Amino acid sequence: MAAFEYRQALEIREAFARHGVRYLFIGKAGAILLGFPDTTQDADLFVDRSAENGRALAAALRELGFALTDDHMRDLERGKDFVQLKNGPFDVDIVFAPDGIERFEDAWQRRVEVEGFPVCHIDDIIASKAAANRVKDRESLPRLRSFREYWLRHRRT
Amino acid sequence: MERVPDERPRSLPPEEGSPLQWWDEFEAAARRSLETRLRYSFIRTYKPVLDDATYRAFDSMEGYRRWCEQSLPDWLGYGRV
Repeated sequence: MAAFEYRQALEIREAFARHGVRYLFIGKAGAILLGFPDTTQDADLFVDRSAENGRALAAALRELGFALTDDHMRDLERGKDFVQLKNGPFDVDIVFAPDGIERFEDAWQRRVEVEGFPVCHIDDIIASKAAANRVKDRESLPRLRSFREYWLRHRRT
Repeated sequence: MERVPDERPRSLPPEEGSPLQWWDEFEAAARRSLETRLRYSFIRTYKPVLDDATYRAFDSMEGYRRWCEQSLPDWLGYGRV
C-alpha cells in the first residue's frame, strides 16, 4: 500500500462532511496538519462516540473504499475505543477514547481548522501522547513541546 | 531591511535535543504548502505484526495498549515506559 496522500486527506474531509461525521485529526497526523515536520504512517482520527456518528462514519469509510463487514460496522456504531483499519485505500486509526482527553466535546471546542481540516489543538495532541506514555511518544514529546511554543507564537490558522 | 526578531529558544535541558535546529525545521515547514508537508510526512514502512491484519478493534485503550506490549516487537516503541 502506498503512503497516505494529500488527495486522500481531501477525500476524508469531503466524505466526512457529506455524511456529517464529527471527528478531529489527532496524534502525529494532527500535529503534521498544524505544521509539525515529522514522519508518520497512519492518519489518526478522534471520532465523537454516538451511534448516529458511528453510522455516519461507517458510511463515509465505505464510500472511501474501506471493506467493512457488518461486524466492523457494528464496532464503529458501538464506538469501540480503538479501531485500526488497513482494509481500504490507506491506513487509518479510529480512536473514540484517546488517552489524556476527557471528552470529545472539550477537544472539539479547542479544535483548530487547517484548510477545512478539523484538528485537535496542539495541547490535546501533547496531552494524549503524554498520557499514552509509550516509548515512541516519550521520544517525540520534547520536539513536539518545542513545536507547541513555535506554533503558539506563529499560528496563522 | 527590517530585522526579524529571533524568538528561538536559547536553551533547553540537554536531554531535549537541539531546539535551535528544531525551530529552523519548523520555520522551513511553515513555508511549505499543506500538500507538500503531507507528502514529506506520510511514509510507508512495514511494521511487523501491526501490519499483518487488515482490521483490529479493541473495547478499551487499555486493552489495545496491552495487546501492543504483548504482541509487537519492543523496537517499534509501542510499549509503555
